[in-house]
Amino acid sequence: MSGLRDRLAGTLDRLVDASPLERLLISVASLVFALVLGAVLIFVSGFVATCNSPVVFIPGVGYGCYNPIEVYSTMLQGAFGSPISLGQTLQETTLLLFTGLSVAVAFRAGLFNIGTQGQMVLGALATAVTVLWLGPFVPNNAIGTIVVIPAGIAAGAVVGGFWGMIPGVMKAYADAHEVITTIMLNFIATAIAFYLVNNHVGDPSSDSVLTETIPAVAQFPAAIDGSRFSFFALGAGLLVAIGITLLYTQTVIGYELRTSGIQETAAEYSGVNAERNIVTSMTLSGALGGVAGAMYVMMAQYRWQTGIPSLGFDGIAVSILAGNNPIGIIPTSLLFGTLKSGSLAINLSLGVPTELVEVIQGLIILFIAMPEFFRLIGKRSGFGSDTPATSGGEQA
Amino acid sequence: MLYAGAGLAVVAVACLWLFGPVDASSIAMALRFTVPIGFAALGGIFSEKAGIINIGLEGLLIIGAFSAVASMYALSLTPIGANVWLAFGFAIVASAVVALLFAIACIEFKADQVIAGLAVWLIALGFAPFASTIVWGQVNSPSVDGFSKWAIPGLADLPVFGDIFVMRPPVMLLIVAGPLTWYVLNRTRFGLWIEASGEDPKALDTAGVDVQLVRYVGTVLSGVYCGIGGAALALRVGQFTGGGETMVNGRGFIGLTAYLIGNYNPIGAFFASFLFGGLEVIQLSIQRTSDIGIPTRLVGVLPYVIVLVVLVFVGKTQMPSSAGDHYESDD
Amino acid sequence: MSADDESADGARPGAAAVHMDGITKRFPGVVANDDIDFAVDRGTVHALVGENGAGKTTLMNVLYGLYEPTEGSVRIDGVRHEFDGPSDAMDAGIGMIHQHFMLVDTMTVAENVVLGNEPTKWGGFATDRAQAIEETKALAERYGFDLDPTAQIDEISIGEQQRVEILKALYRGAEILILDEPTAVLTPQEVEGLFDILEELIAEGKTIIFITHKLGEALEAADEISVLRDGKLVGTVSSAAASQEELARMMVGRDVLLDLEKPAAQRGDPILEVEEMSVEDDRGVTAVSDVDFAVHEGEVFGIAGVDGNGQSELIEAITGLHQPSSGTITFDGSQITTASRSDRIGMGMAYIAEDRQKRSLVMDYDLRRNGLLGCQRLPEFSNGFRIDWESTEEYVDDVIDEYDVRPPDPSADAHSFSGGNQQKFIVGREFERDPSLVVASQPTRGVDIGSIEFIHDRLLDLRADGTAILLVSSKLDEVRQLSDRLAVMHDGEIVAVVDPDAVSEEELGLLMAGEQPAGITAESARVRGGESA
Repeated sequence: MSGLRDRLAGTLDRLVDASPLERLLISVASLVFALVLGAVLIFVSGFVATCNSPVVFIPGVGYGCYNPIEVYSTMLQGAFGSPISLGQTLQETTLLLFTGLSVAVAFRAGLFNIGTQGQMVLGALATAVTVLWLGPFVPNNAIGTIVVIPAGIAAGAVVGGFWGMIPGVMKAYADAHEVITTIMLNFIATAIAFYLVNNHVGDPSSDSVLTETIPAVAQFPAAIDGSRFSFFALGAGLLVAIGITLLYTQTVIGYELRTSGIQETAAEYSGVNAERNIVTSMTLSGALGGVAGAMYVMMAQYRWQTGIPSLGFDGIAVSILAGNNPIGIIPTSLLFGTLKSGSLAINLSLGVPTELVEVIQGLIILFIAMPEFFRLIGKRSGFGSDTPATSGGEQA
Repeated sequence: MLYAGAGLAVVAVACLWLFGPVDASSIAMALRFTVPIGFAALGGIFSEKAGIINIGLEGLLIIGAFSAVASMYALSLTPIGANVWLAFGFAIVASAVVALLFAIACIEFKADQVIAGLAVWLIALGFAPFASTIVWGQVNSPSVDGFSKWAIPGLADLPVFGDIFVMRPPVMLLIVAGPLTWYVLNRTRFGLWIEASGEDPKALDTAGVDVQLVRYVGTVLSGVYCGIGGAALALRVGQFTGGGETMVNGRGFIGLTAYLIGNYNPIGAFFASFLFGGLEVIQLSIQRTSDIGIPTRLVGVLPYVIVLVVLVFVGKTQMPSSAGDHYESDD
Repeated sequence: MSADDESADGARPGAAAVHMDGITKRFPGVVANDDIDFAVDRGTVHALVGENGAGKTTLMNVLYGLYEPTEGSVRIDGVRHEFDGPSDAMDAGIGMIHQHFMLVDTMTVAENVVLGNEPTKWGGFATDRAQAIEETKALAERYGFDLDPTAQIDEISIGEQQRVEILKALYRGAEILILDEPTAVLTPQEVEGLFDILEELIAEGKTIIFITHKLGEALEAADEISVLRDGKLVGTVSSAAASQEELARMMVGRDVLLDLEKPAAQRGDPILEVEEMSVEDDRGVTAVSDVDFAVHEGEVFGIAGVDGNGQSELIEAITGLHQPSSGTITFDGSQITTASRSDRIGMGMAYIAEDRQKRSLVMDYDLRRNGLLGCQRLPEFSNGFRIDWESTEEYVDDVIDEYDVRPPDPSADAHSFSGGNQQKFIVGREFERDPSLVVASQPTRGVDIGSIEFIHDRLLDLRADGTAILLVSSKLDEVRQLSDRLAVMHDGEIVAVVDPDAVSEEELGLLMAGEQPAGITAESARVRGGESA
């Protein structure tokens, strides 16, 4: 018993005092807390919801419909239970990898890009239009694919990059806060894309707002029957994550971008044009958002249509949970890919709304934003090797 | 900047003229549309002037809107019956409680205010449709009763302008809240403390005033105001719609920009909010007269574009100098 | 707050105004105050001197209730107190004027004075602004302060702001005033004004404690002087009986050479020439107007002046952080007026910035990454694309070794080092690149005496090697000792260039205050200190 407690104390000690490991532990703790709160939400809302077979009865309160443990295990089942669901999970993972990297590149430069969603929506449309146009000109075989898919990715990157550059320029040269500008640009992007598809580039034969299906040469080759997931797309995402890591650790431009993000005044001292770096970071971030859109069109939807899922917002949680570390984003995108793909299963078989995942994501972001919460928990339970640096604690 | 805000409001009214006669009913409509934006703006001023940047105003509006409709629905199942004022009260309390939690995260646990505010928005954005689905089986609620209009005796009988003075209670509240907020911030001790808390918390602390308490009150007030704004929106429409960005649809962020345009002055923020309310009227009138040839979906973008233009000119230079910083009283 | 029962009835006649008994204050890993006994008599001025980090401010924060002592007790007028915060200390009649003023810039003088104790009307529903102005005015007149109660803080001078701080304390009924480094931001003339105010306060029966590291001021203004070193009280002496040398020895714990040995300058060709340069600050206000000077190989060109008279803008224009609005800058024979900062670094310009934690270091980077700051595009450190981490690490190891950076850990983050070691690292990083010009702005601000001596020695070594040095410092002693020629800036202009050995402190003070002392005109000063030197 005491051995366990010592070990626990050691773990919490490091949570309170150590720095690199601390971040990892805070991420894990945030995840755990968010999942626990999510479980409470599931349990409580079970008493409000109506269902045929309640799982619990509390006298005076009523019947509860949901068992949180069952919900979470159904989620796991739904994410990994069959090859098709595994494919669905990996597909979500791939898309989240790109939106997560998009958010992380901005974060590394000290910028909150909430606009990955809009960059993705417009990038996706650019990709769809490009490959629809290019399709008839190329042979319908692997060679065609080798031409069309990179072209589609490039189109997404260029348009997404442009849409990311706008708030970058506004931030750098007019000091307009990027959180608000990128949120506004999301609304604008959705409306522009809707307008273009509805009035100009859409499928005239359909009543819905969507483009025609992209040609087969522009579709990523599916790896699993019954799923559209492609190893090529996932591999590309992993390579980009590694590339971004190398950019930040090994190159001058990466060093300068990061310095600009951490301490702008010092970056200027070192001879960096901080304004230009803000624009560069936001453009790069937007380009990655645009690539996410390209992947969405060429791997997931095979066309552009309204109601593109909120992968851009999910990317915020993916990046923040990973401490904005490009390599860390690989496991966190898998985690959120699991949650997203599993949420479909809990909705289908248990009737729990899929928005549960969004609430959990929001909670994770909230917890990560307040590392002090975990430090205090560590200290209040008597762990942590030092007293606070100020006397506030004693006086309180 | 106060004049800039007032000027923009004049421009809005001028625009109204372009798309239809500015009559009493269009002004009354613009005022109605101003309510959620205006309350978000006034509430945001309290919070940010006290030193807590509340980017979660949007989320608080969503909470207010959902709670109002959910309370109406829940009350209708009880012997009390659906009561608009009770539901209004519950919505305010719900939003204030969320604002309090946000304040605890920012003050007690030193959360990064921008990320935490973002989280408040994202949580609300997920929670409201989640809860709607739990309660009603879909993201949109059924219709509920809303506020009925009151005619202000005397003024409502005026020729030409009479219609302006037939309004729902929240509109009246907003018209009172603007000057009242200005008075509190500029003429009371508490207003002085709010300013000091955002500009130089250490000065306030060494003067013997509890900075954290001032910040808590400022942030919770932003929750109260947003609760009013969100509830007013939902009880005007008589329904909560939770699809996409929910029925709040960016009004919290627009409110945030409105107080920047008004340079943290409640009166300026009110006029800036009125500008955005007027834009919504324009949109509606364009939709009605769709022969003008401008696609309605693009016209809907106008408020967001204006926010961008305004931000480019306003920047963030006049922010309270300590807004966004944690304050610890003993170092 | 709690007072002992036995003495709750009031002050004991004859007791010291302040009596701190056996005060120990520990922070994690540091003993900031170690068993200090400290007493101040009513109606006297007591100076608390010591180096940075000696524990002066900590001790006063204990007295002011900001820190709770780990051990020991505080008695005010013989009554024992335990303060839970500054408001308790204020209630006991203690007021503190911090080094960084606790004033709200956007509010008026009167609003700041009454903040927290605002007079109200209408049953508390409104502040009584007229009464606040009236009370402020009355208080200011009583102590002979010339202040406009309705002026906004950011519109009045530093000296006036300091007086507002004092009024604030007096308004709250302070009998004991603590002043933390009150002279650091003042001109010599303003310092005299402050000392007059202190006398006025003593005459009204107030008690004053002031913290300083300037021994001359302590001797001039105080009745008694207590010296702290490494958290311990070394001793308390009467100022009438003490000498500057004795105090310096007590402060540092060994003999200090107050004068620096400096060989004659070997002046060479001009390296930096600034002609008719004007600079506007961020708000578009002219901060530097029409400045002309040259810095030669092998000389230290000093710039003295009160902070905020254009020195920062001048330096930023020269180093390339800020574009001048007119005029030219020539460096090593080439025009660099519009050259980028990075080009200037490449041409051999080293820069020790005034605010090291903002500019010269990235606080969250380790020394390895900080060693690259500013060098990242130099051929020794990268090929312009890929960083050569191996040679960067060698360079950083060299700097740590040569410049005695402690602890010698290149993987420790910058914020974990003391001010002195941070600065030694910066100096090393900039000097080891063999610059042809060093721009050093406040190179020893907030640095311990040992590091100051070290940095001064290295500056003079570079000078001996023929490097041109432009030195800006608000420490008069420093610029006078190190400079071969000394320019004085006031209100954006260079009002005189003088020979630092031939000018008196009073003359410098007048120049810094924008007045022309008898016998020194701008023209004659230039001749005396300039080409003939």
